[in-house]
Amino acid sequence: MGDKLSALWRKVSWAWSPESERESSEAIVKNFWLHWFPAKVARASMDWNYSFWLGTASAALLLILTVTGVMLMFFYVPSTERAYGSIKDLQYAVSFGRLLRNQHRWAAEGMVAVVYIHMARVFLTGAYRGTRAINWLVGVALLLVTLLLSFTGYLLPWDQLAFWAITVGTSIAKQAPVLGPTIQFILLGGHEIGQQTLLRFYVLHVFFLPVFVLVLFAYHMWRIRKDGGLAVIERVRNDRVMAPKAASKTKSYSLFGITPGTSVQVMSSTGLEESDQVFSSPDLSRRMMLVFLVVFNITLLAALLFNAPLEGLANPSVTPNPAKAPWYFVWLQELVASTTVRLGDFTVSGALLGGILLPGFLLGVLTLWPWLDGSSFRTEGRWLAPERRRQNLTFAIATLAIIVLILVGVYLRGPYWRIYWPGQPRPEMPRLY
Amino acid sequence: MGDKNESFEAKDFGWLVAMSVLFFALVVVGFWFEFSTDWGSYQQEFPQLLGHYGKVEDAREFRPGIKQIWIPKIGVTDRCITCHLGYEWSSVLPATIAEPLKPHPMNDWLAKHEFSRFGCTPCHGGDGSATTLAGAHEGGRGWEDPMLSRALAKQYGLTMSEMMQMRCNFCHRHDVATPGMDEINLAKQLVIKKKCMICHVVEGRGGATGPELTYEGDRNPELLNFAHVHGERTMFNWNVQHLTQASVVSPNTQMPDFNMTPEESRALTLMLLSWRRLPYPPEYIPDPEMAAAAMQPSPTSPPTPAPSATPVAR
Repeated sequence: MGDKLSALWRKVSWAWSPESERESSEAIVKNFWLHWFPAKVARASMDWNYSFWLGTASAALLLILTVTGVMLMFFYVPSTERAYGSIKDLQYAVSFGRLLRNQHRWAAEGMVAVVYIHMARVFLTGAYRGTRAINWLVGVALLLVTLLLSFTGYLLPWDQLAFWAITVGTSIAKQAPVLGPTIQFILLGGHEIGQQTLLRFYVLHVFFLPVFVLVLFAYHMWRIRKDGGLAVIERVRNDRVMAPKAASKTKSYSLFGITPGTSVQVMSSTGLEESDQVFSSPDLSRRMMLVFLVVFNITLLAALLFNAPLEGLANPSVTPNPAKAPWYFVWLQELVASTTVRLGDFTVSGALLGGILLPGFLLGVLTLWPWLDGSSFRTEGRWLAPERRRQNLTFAIATLAIIVLILVGVYLRGPYWRIYWPGQPRPEMPRLY
Repeated sequence: MGDKNESFEAKDFGWLVAMSVLFFALVVVGFWFEFSTDWGSYQQEFPQLLGHYGKVEDAREFRPGIKQIWIPKIGVTDRCITCHLGYEWSSVLPATIAEPLKPHPMNDWLAKHEFSRFGCTPCHGGDGSATTLAGAHEGGRGWEDPMLSRALAKQYGLTMSEMMQMRCNFCHRHDVATPGMDEINLAKQLVIKKKCMICHVVEGRGGATGPELTYEGDRNPELLNFAHVHGERTMFNWNVQHLTQASVVSPNTQMPDFNMTPEESRALTLMLLSWRRLPYPPEYIPDPEMAAAAMQPSPTSPPTPAPSATPVAR
C-alpha cells in the first residue's frame, strides 16, 4: 500500500524521474537551473555541522533582497523632497508595503552578519589553502560589497537616522590619507549631503553594487566547482589516501597462465570513493531548497515582528544626540571616538587611526592571510585544527573585539557619546514642546 | 544508490514539510496583520451612523479604504480622515458623537479654511501620513511636529485653541492683527511696545545686538542652555522663562529683564515658535490689510492699534 502510494506520489509530483545513474547525472547537466551543480557531491560537504550552509544562506538573503528590492523600487522616489514621503506611504498606505520594507531591511542586516559568519567559518576550518585562496579573496570582496550595499541603502529613507549615519560614515572616509577629501567628495557628489548624494547612493544601491555582487557571486560559485568543491573534501580525500585499501581479489596473469600472488595494485584510494558521494539532484537541491525556505521564514518572521526604524525627516540643522553610524560600522565610530585625544583645547582626531589605518590594516591582513598561514595541509577542511590554534584564537579575539565595540556603540553610548550602563538613567534631551 | 539517497531524503523531507507549513502560517499571519487595521471597525460603524441620521444615500455610497486629503503644494498627505470620518458632517452629525467619528466644529473662520485646501496637520500637527493610532498621534523619535492636544496645551497653562494660534501664525505672520488670534495679537503688540527690534533682526530689519529671530522656531532645542530652566526641558519652557527673566536663564546675556507676566511671555513664545521655514505658497498667505480691516468692525475683539508706519514684527 505504502509503495503504491509513494509510486502514485512520484507520478503526480515528478514529470520524470531518473531510471539510471547516468540519467541522474545528465539531469543536472541538461537543466539550466541545476547545471552549475556537479553531478555528484561529497557527503561530507552536505554536513550541517561543517559549513552550516552559510554561503547558501547568504545567497538566499541576496535573492530575498533582490526580489523585495525590485518591488520597493516601484514605490521609492530618490529625491530629497519625495524619498521620506514615499517611505511613509510604504509604511502606511501601500498594501504589504510595511512588510516588504521590513523584510528588505532585516534581510540586509542579516546578510551583513551571515556573510561575516560565513567568512569566519572558512577561516576556522582553514578552507582557503591552495587554489581556494582565490575564492577567499573573492569572498573578502563580496563582504566589502555587501557592506557598501547596506551602507548605500541606509541613506535612502532620508530620515534623521539615515542622514546622520551617512554623515558620520563619509566623515570617517574623509580622514583617509591623501585621497580622503576626494573620496568624500565623490561619495557625496559635493561637499555636503544633498540631492546628489541621494541619487548617487540610489544608483549605486540599485544598479552598480548589485551587478557587482552578482558577477562576484557567479565567479565565487564557479571557483567552488573548479577547486573541486568545499575544502572538507580534501580532508576526506587525505583520509582515504592515508588509509590502506584492501587488495581486491584478482587473478594475476603471466605469459604462461595464472600465477600466484597479486598484480600491481592501488593500495589506497586516490580520491573519493563511490560511497563518499551522493547525486546533486535531488539530495543537494532538496537541502538547498530547505535552507532557502528556512532563511525566508526567518526574515519573514522578523518582518512581521519588528518594524524597520524610521525617524523624523532628515534635518541638516538638527543633529540627533548621539548620531550613530549603522551598527556594522559603529565599531569604527567607537574606535574613532576612543582614539581621539583631547589636550586642553587641542584635539587630535582619531578618524585617521581608528577610522582608516586600523580597519585598513585589518583588511590587509585578512586579504593576505592565506599566504601568511604556514600550517600543514592536514588542517585543511578541519574545524579548529590544533595546529592552527594560534591563528584561530587571533581571529576569534579580533571578532570578539569588534562585537564588543559594536555592542558598546549600539547599546551603551548615549547623549554626548557617553557610556550609560543598562538601568542608568539617560539625560532627557530637550524637546520642542 | 537507493539506500544512501534515502538517508538524506529521510533527514530532510520532514524538515522541508515543516518549513513549508511554517511558511504558509507566516503568510496567513501576514495577511491577518495587513487586514486587521486600526481603522477597519470605524469604517464599518460610520455608514450605519450616516444612515441613522438620515443620509441613507451617502451611507450606501461609502466605500471602505484609506482616505486622504492630498495637497502637494503644501506637502500635505493627511490620512487622518481614514478614522476621523465625520469631520465634514457637522451639519448632519451631532457634536456629541465620540471620537474619532465626531464631526469637526464649524464656525465663520473655519469655513474660510476649507479642509480640501488646508488638510488637518497644518493646524493640528501630528503625522498625517500615518494610518495607525500611535503613528498619527504620538509619532516616534525625532518628532519635530507633535500633535497639539488639550493635555499638551494645559501643560503650559493654555487652552488648545490658544496653543493652536501658533500654527495659525504660520500663514498669518504678516498680519498686524488677526481676528480670533488673541494670543498672537498680544505678542505682536508686545514686540512694538517692548521695542524688540532695537536689538533683534527679523526678516532683514532691526538692530544687530541680539541674535536674529527670523526662524527662531527652527532652532535646535539642544543648543539652548537649560541649566537655569526649571520644569521640563522644552524649547517652549526655555522661551517663556527667558522672556520673563533673561538674566536668570542666560547669565551672560545683554538682554534686559522685561519681567513680563506669564500671559505675555507665553504669547510671545507662541509667536516665536511659529517663525519657521514653511512650505506655504503666496496664495496661502493672507493680505495683512484685509486682516486689519476685519479687526475694525468687530465689537467683541479687544482694541488693536491701526497699522502703523513703525517697523512691525512679521
